Amino acid sequence: MIERLQQALAWRWRQVERAQLWLLAGLTLALLPHIGRLPWLLILPAALLLGWRLGFELKLARLPPRVLRWLLVGLALAATWASYRTLFGQQAGVALLVIMLCLKLMEMDKPRDVAIVIGLSYFVVITVFLFDQSLLMGGYMLLVVTLLTTALTAFSRPGATLPERANLRLSATLLAQAAPLALLLFVLFPRIPGPLWHLPSDAGRAGTGLSETMSPGNISRLSDNDAVAFRVRFAGETPPQDRLYWRGLALTSFDGRTWRNPNEARRGLGAPRSFDYTAIGESVHYTLTLEPHQRRWLFALDMPASVPPGSTVSADVEIIADNSVKTLRQYSLQSYLDYRLDAGLAPSNFAYLRLPPGMAPRARILAQQLRAESRDDADYVQRVLDFIRQQPFYYTRQPPLLLDDPVDEFLFDSRQGFCEHYASAFTVLMRAAGLPARVMTGYLGGEDNPLGDYFIVRQSDAHAWSEVWLRGRGWVRVDPTAVIPPERVENRDDLERIAPAYAARTGEAPDWAKRLWRNVDYGWDRVNNTWNQWIIGYDEGTQTAFLGRLGLENVDWQRMVSLLFIGLGLVVAVIALQLFRRRPVRRDVVAEAYARFCRKLARRGLPRKPAEGAQDYSMRIIPSRPELAAQIQHITLLYQRLRYARSMPRDGLRHLQQAVRRFRP
Amino acid sequence: MKYIDMLMRSLSGQRRTLGSFTLRQRLSPTRFLRGEGPEVGPVELHQRRVFILPTRQGLLFAAILLLMLIGSINYDASLGYALTFLLAALSVVAMLHTYRNLLRLRVDIGPAEPVFCGETLRVPVTLENPAGQARFAVSLHFPEQPKAVCDVPADGWVRVELPLSAKRRGRHALPRITLATVFPLGLFRAWAYAEFDARVLIYPRPARATPLPRDSVWQTDLSGDRGQGADDFAGLRNYHPGDPPGHVHWKTLARGQGLHTKQFGGDHAEELWLDWQATAGDAEMRLSILTRWVLEADAAHYRYGLRLPNQTLPLAHEPAQRRRCLKALALFNGGESP
Repeated sequence: MIERLQQALAWRWRQVERAQLWLLAGLTLALLPHIGRLPWLLILPAALLLGWRLGFELKLARLPPRVLRWLLVGLALAATWASYRTLFGQQAGVALLVIMLCLKLMEMDKPRDVAIVIGLSYFVVITVFLFDQSLLMGGYMLLVVTLLTTALTAFSRPGATLPERANLRLSATLLAQAAPLALLLFVLFPRIPGPLWHLPSDAGRAGTGLSETMSPGNISRLSDNDAVAFRVRFAGETPPQDRLYWRGLALTSFDGRTWRNPNEARRGLGAPRSFDYTAIGESVHYTLTLEPHQRRWLFALDMPASVPPGSTVSADVEIIADNSVKTLRQYSLQSYLDYRLDAGLAPSNFAYLRLPPGMAPRARILAQQLRAESRDDADYVQRVLDFIRQQPFYYTRQPPLLLDDPVDEFLFDSRQGFCEHYASAFTVLMRAAGLPARVMTGYLGGEDNPLGDYFIVRQSDAHAWSEVWLRGRGWVRVDPTAVIPPERVENRDDLERIAPAYAARTGEAPDWAKRLWRNVDYGWDRVNNTWNQWIIGYDEGTQTAFLGRLGLENVDWQRMVSLLFIGLGLVVAVIALQLFRRRPVRRDVVAEAYARFCRKLARRGLPRKPAEGAQDYSMRIIPSRPELAAQIQHITLLYQRLRYARSMPRDGLRHLQQAVRRFRP
Repeated sequence: MKYIDMLMRSLSGQRRTLGSFTLRQRLSPTRFLRGEGPEVGPVELHQRRVFILPTRQGLLFAAILLLMLIGSINYDASLGYALTFLLAALSVVAMLHTYRNLLRLRVDIGPAEPVFCGETLRVPVTLENPAGQARFAVSLHFPEQPKAVCDVPADGWVRVELPLSAKRRGRHALPRITLATVFPLGLFRAWAYAEFDARVLIYPRPARATPLPRDSVWQTDLSGDRGQGADDFAGLRNYHPGDPPGHVHWKTLARGQGLHTKQFGGDHAEELWLDWQATAGDAEMRLSILTRWVLEADAAHYRYGLRLPNQTLPLAHEPAQRRRCLKALALFNGGESP
């Protein structure tokens, strides 16, 4: 029974037009990365339609009639609308493209339909790149493109009987020949700084990393997401790890549970304000390559002296880009590790002092008590830090949930938490004593990649700290997490981050497996970094720099285009020469050697007659030159064997050539 | 001296540039549309006769590429650029491959068996591939006729029977053959024309079954074998060109007595004159009826002759007689066309 079923299936399988299979395989693989990004309401019908087409090719199903097709189109539109409440925008557009492409499979019988489907399948590949441009995805999509191209070759050869491997080889050959041209285009095609029109608001994927709210006590577990947030290359010496505070977003308003960034709503409205900013000491130069996080804020080493092009700075010294970061973004900055910010003027509004009424009563009492004991504001800050150091506060990634009053419960009951808890509680204590304060979020530290000259900052390096305004000193960065004694830090990785010096002193050497794994990890990160720098981050600036390194300084786009065309012409000419080359007429070395022999005899007055065979010739001339008989016979025999013997004598050709060379009649 | 002569000729513009064409001839748009005019085969499709343009699918592909480029610019997606450029380069490479797929193919035709008007001629076309790589999916067709598609192996040849529907009786010049290919990606179509200096013969369309003119049948020789069997040996006669080789009496030739043809007597030994005068209707109608009669008389193994207003074919019964008569009918009065 099963055997018969197998036979029947095998028979149907042989009937399928191979081109259709290539196309279905390519399209399915192109759609796979969209699973999870598109709603199931659309993914499932798309899968169903692909299966339907396969069933049709296997002669197991019929295609739907026209009425049903239109009905399906209506349903697809409805499902898209139901999922996104719109048919436009990036996400809905991609969803609509995918589902309509699968519907097109239901009426793909003419060559024109096939061309549309394959062309749009290539387009699906590009929509995947809007979400993920990693090296692995690039490699995967190259495979998909090869399959789709194979479908094209198969369709241009209907009814071909050759094995399908030949088709695959053909498309791979075509792509390989196209590669140098594509490379040239990639390098020399003038990069136009986008976007051409306003990007849809939903462009890109959901962001990871920092958010503009922070609710310590709500999350009972800090994720240890190892994804790379950004990479940094320092121009000069690398500052010590515990000074690498990567400034991100300021959270200033607190409702008792949640800290918020108040600027989000009115961002970009006000003109950038000027700062009372004094730099102290040496500056640090660095280039930062930011992974797309779909938000508008950029990161900079505390405290940046300028902002990258295409961004502005907010009142809280956050760098806000004009558009959200949807692709890899690279910028060079200069920062001062020591600075005075707004030292001369007190913060103009009371937002930095505001606390929700009735919240954290015990903390307020503690603040008043400590403030009363301290000489001045700076002393108060020190006393609060001492409080944290001396009381049994622990650093843990899995703190208990804080349900009623997170600040009080943390400060007096649980005393376990991570940076958010400490920053929040510290800032509340500052405000309770009348000191302007805010929570800063960003990243701390980073790891040096020994295999490449750069720093990796990961999402797990996310950090929160406080800034307090002190008279005469301006905004001062205070990191309450840093004062926790190392022995009260639960996790070794956290210790390395918070107290690197202590960790280095006490740490045991990692075993070889860990070291190996770390090196593999660094190596892979380096490959990715190179990929990001040269492929993903290849924009106007990189292009100019790269051409400069090739010795083409100050290339404007007109010259770039003419260079591009010259280069394209040359490469096409080389490929064309290769393809259109006439086969060289193969030299007949045996005949050439024998002809030399005949010429030598002809010079002695014994030419071969036009129709005379080698055997007859030798028989005729030997009587007139009996002293050469042995040589003539030897050469004639060699020639005959090379020409007519079933198997080639070993080194026969060389012997013949040698004998002819030595033959001196 | 020779070189000076060549130089002078080239300066005076007499020398034909690049083979057999002057520049003006090469650039003439009529070549693009009509080809080179009739030639004697084989015709090699060198680069001056192979044309190439994008197909509709190619234009569609270009439009999609443009969309992809705009998308890449807008979203600043580097891999989008890379994909767009890879596909653009792919189409350029495909164009070269399409062109090569036709280039230097040698085309020749063989004689086509005559058919009756309304039937389909099968013109044998040979494609020879002198190159080291195979040609795939080369399509050939006469204007407005169905296509034949074939692959040509490397260093090999292939023979296809190209259909050509016979529309008018007579002897006609073979129309131009179009060879085309969209291999390997279907984005470009390369094509070339081959027009041969050859003619095909089309017999008139046989009329619907018409009874033979019985009154003109003479039963002259009743000594013919009326027994069973088809062809009985009846004797020898001198060889005429066109006699089938199977009927040649090789033994007499071997004895040095010259070529003789064996003659066979049929079941019938009736003689029949097929006469223009015995038919009615317009000229084409009469030719149709006569064609039908020739076929019937031949099938019935009569000895028959054909009387046309301008021509008389004597009584005979041999395979060549049918062909002779049909040809005469095909060419009667204006059957010849340039």
